[in-house]
This record gives sequence, structure tokens and C-alpha cells, in this order.
Amino acid sequence: MSYQPKSYKISSVESYAKDVKLFKIKCNLNPSPGTFVEVSVPGIGECPLASCSHSRDYLELLTKNAGNVTSAIFNLRKNGSIFVRGPYGKGFPIEELKSRNLILIAGGTGIAPITSMINYIEQNKKLFGKIFIYFGFRDEENVLLKERIKKWEEEFHVFVGLSSDPDSHEYEKGFINDIMERHKPDVENTVALLCGPEIMMNVATGELNKLGMQNENIYWSMERRMECAFGSCGRCQIQDLYACKDGPIFRYDVIKPRLDNENSSQEGR
Amino acid sequence: MQKILPKKEFPEFIDSLIKKYEVVAPVKSPNSKFQKISSFDEIYFDSITQVPAKIQFLPEDETLLEFKNKKAVETKGEIKKTILFGLRKCDLNAIQIVDKVMYDQQYLAKRKNTVLIGLFCENPDEYCFCNSMQLQDYHDLFFYLKGENYYIDVGSKIGGALVKNLSSVKKEIKIPNPANFKKLENLEIGENYKDKIWEGDADKCLSCSACTVYCPTCNCFDIKDDLDLDLKNGERKRCQASCQLKSFSRVAGGKSYRDSRLSRFKHFVYHKISYYKKIYNRPMCVGCGRCLRVCPTKIDWVETINKISKS
Repeated sequence: MSYQPKSYKISSVESYAKDVKLFKIKCNLNPSPGTFVEVSVPGIGECPLASCSHSRDYLELLTKNAGNVTSAIFNLRKNGSIFVRGPYGKGFPIEELKSRNLILIAGGTGIAPITSMINYIEQNKKLFGKIFIYFGFRDEENVLLKERIKKWEEEFHVFVGLSSDPDSHEYEKGFINDIMERHKPDVENTVALLCGPEIMMNVATGELNKLGMQNENIYWSMERRMECAFGSCGRCQIQDLYACKDGPIFRYDVIKPRLDNENSSQEGR
Repeated sequence: MQKILPKKEFPEFIDSLIKKYEVVAPVKSPNSKFQKISSFDEIYFDSITQVPAKIQFLPEDETLLEFKNKKAVETKGEIKKTILFGLRKCDLNAIQIVDKVMYDQQYLAKRKNTVLIGLFCENPDEYCFCNSMQLQDYHDLFFYLKGENYYIDVGSKIGGALVKNLSSVKKEIKIPNPANFKKLENLEIGENYKDKIWEGDADKCLSCSACTVYCPTCNCFDIKDDLDLDLKNGERKRCQASCQLKSFSRVAGGKSYRDSRLSRFKHFVYHKISYYKKIYNRPMCVGCGRCLRVCPTKIDWVETINKISKS
């Protein structure tokens, strides 16, 4: 295993909301949906970012300006260079998903890995059944990948909810679970794929359970601090599992007892 | 295969190794630790070292990449053939355990060029509990003093080559386990994660991270960039990190996934006893007792586990 990154050229940059940008990079890394890469700016540092595309010719990365590395990435412009190594991790279990209905749920920048999966579905439509997509954002200003969502609305069942924007004319108001309750998905022969803040995935999973879905048909994409990305540095450990090499996509019935354990000792001390 | 070396010829044997190789052995200066030696007399024999041998392979910081002229170049470095002498059974097993989780070329190059020579542990103290930890025989050579002779167990071809001129033992002897005064009664603590008993230890914990610094199997690290003053060139480094610090699991945006001392303390104990075992079928802890020895508030998690297994 090696820490050697390669330099790539940024072919375009799009801005969303106040603090989110989408970088398109010409490269042939071709990550499978749900996997991630380590992106770096020399002298500043490295950070793990989920692949937001599925293509042989390019890689898209959606990032929020949230830490010292992402803020350095934020300053990069078109034709600038960016260092990438990867891809790493186990992505969405494509074989398990074939010939089934899918529910895709994302909150905020959690839309990134879900987008890579939607790209895959678009390229392999015959492999899957009905596709239900639920996105949650804070308000209209924070809706990410707007034009793409519009395009997806023509092909799939897409529902967008804003948690705190009562004045929006374009989108519905409500948390992710409200939107799901209003527009119920098919749950027979269905697998759900989720990415977002844990609290949002919790609520959405509760709703899926209420609709009758079993935890073994639900997958969570976990956010942790992957530094080495191949199971050495210990930073992304969730008990005995490593988010970088056993995940970042985990079956919910596998990850739930571990999260329950870790969260049980978070309070107080 | 076993070889034999008269005790009085032992210093000469070590000095002959020093002439050919870089020899690293326990030294007292003033903490006992593994260090390059230039003569037999420097070796400290009295006890296991305070600082574990892991710093040979995982130093406090180490360069992984260099940035020059907008290019990133991985550092290979010059690695001399090194003999690591004086490792006790716990030290040897710790290296074997860390080998399973480190697979980058910087680590592997150092490991490949190091010969491991063990030495029987003559004076374990009240913190040692290595016999509870399912230790294995893992060495290139292992020295055991009996009477006026060192019996040398040969564990590999590389080790064998170093002692090929010594005479073989006709009737091999069994090298015993070190004496232990402490015992870890139970390795199956998986079900006890939510037990209230851990709160007592966590209350005493200062999150100082000494346990992880001195643990011979704690390999966790951070990857950091350093920029030169010209703001163009620089390097990417691997630095020691500790799961006992809040920043260890902190992600962009500020959330730390193990925010409480209780959750961090349990992560240390469970990683050593339970998590690693689930993957590699043996505990990560080698029972050297270094974490207990250095703890400023004298937390004894071994006794805590023993209490759980009694209740």
C-alpha cells in the first residue's frame, strides 16, 4: 500500500449554496458507487471525499468548506491541479441490488455518494426495479445539484424536503421522514441506501422500519476520519470495523449494534 | 533447532554483530528504551524497557512524501540491515501483532531489514501478565540463559545464518514462560460493553494518552503536512496519534465520534482485548503491563475485567 497521490487537472468547478462546490476532475480512477478517494493539497493535508460520479473519464467531488483541507480545496480553480489517491473502501453492494426496487435517501452533502449510485442506475436502468429518491436540505438556498435533481425527476420518483424553509415555492416543507410518509415508497423486494448526518439516517431508518422494511435491507454510508484509507491508522474504527476498508457502506443490522454501543457511553463524561 | 553459546563468550558474540550490523538494544538513558549501541556494555538487562520497541518502526514522526516543484514523491530512504536485540516475548509478539495492520511500504521496508533477537524475561514485575495473552513463539533468534550457557532457539533462516558457527544442542531444552504475578482472567468481554463498572476507571482517566504512547501494539497515526518556509515545498508525515484524545475521531465540521472519556477509555481496552481478536483470532494486548505502569492515576483495567468475570 502506498501514500503516493497523483496530480490531476480540475476541468470545472460549480458552486452550490454558500459553502459547497462540485469539482470535476479528468481522470480514469473510475471509483465504484459509494467508494471514496483521498484528496489533498500539498502542504495543507489530505481528506477523504466520497465519489460523486460514476464514469470512466472523470471524477466529481462534492465538498463543503468545513475544515482546513476542504477550505484549501475550495480555493482551487478551473485548470488548477489537485492530488488524489484511491479509490478506497467497499461501495454499495451492486450485486445485492440487482432486480430490486431501490430507495435512495440523502441529507445535505450526503447527496454525493447517492449521486454516484444514481449515475450507475442511469447507465444500467434494466438492472433495477422502481427507484424512489428522497433528499433533505435545510432551505432552498442549500439545495445541492438542483439541475440534476430536475433531470432525475423525469426518470425516477424524486421527493425533496426542506426542513426549515416555510416560504419555498419549489420544494415541500418537512423533515425526511415527513416527506417519506407523504410519498410512501414501495417496500416489497426493496433495498434502501442512505447517506447523511447520523441523526437524519436514524429518523429515515425509523420511517423505513415503520413501513415494514427489515434492517438487513438498509445500508448506511458512514462518515469517519479516514486518514490512511486502508485499515492501518485506526482513525475510522467503529468498534471492530473500519469505515475505510469494511465500509464506508455498511448494512444497517451490522453497524447498528456497534453504533448503539459507542453512543451509549457518549453522554455525561 | 537450538544452538549453544557459553555465557562468557556472549559479549564477544554481540560485539561481533555490532561490527557487521547496526545493533539496537535496550539502553538506560535515563528511561530504558531501544537504541543503537556501539558495545556490549551499553545493554541494559535488568527489566523490560519503559519505551516499547515500536519506535523502531513507527517513530514519533516520519516522512512519507516530499513535495518538490509541484510534484509529490514518496520517500524510500536508506534502510540499513538492523538487528533488534533484547526483545522480551511480549515485545516480539507486539511486533507480530502490529505487522498484521501495517502494510505500507515505508513500514514493510523497515521490517524486512530488521532481524529480531529475543531474550528470556528474567525479572517480570507485578504489572506483567503476558501468560494470559496467548503469546506465540515469534523470533529469528531467542536467547535463554541456563547455568553457564545461553541456549539459542533458531526461529528462521536469517537467524540461523547469524549463529551458524555455534555448536548445535544435542538434546533441546524447553524454554519456559516468564513468571507472572498478575493474571487476566477473561478475554471474552464483548457482552460487557455497557457495564457500569467501566465508569469507575473512566472517572479516574485524565485522557493523558500515556497508555497508548507506551503500549507496544498501539500503532494508530495521523497524517500531517508540513510546509517549508518558501511555501512551495514541504512534506507529508506520519505522526503518532492516540485514541485517548478527542481530536482522534474528530471530522470536518467539528464532530468527534468518541467525545466522552468513557467512550475513549473503553475503546482502548476493547481494541486490545476484543476488537482485534474478532479479526485476527488473538488479543492485541501482549500483557507487558506498560499501560498500567505509566498510568498517572493507576487505572488497573485488568483488575476491572477480573471483577466483571467474577460477578
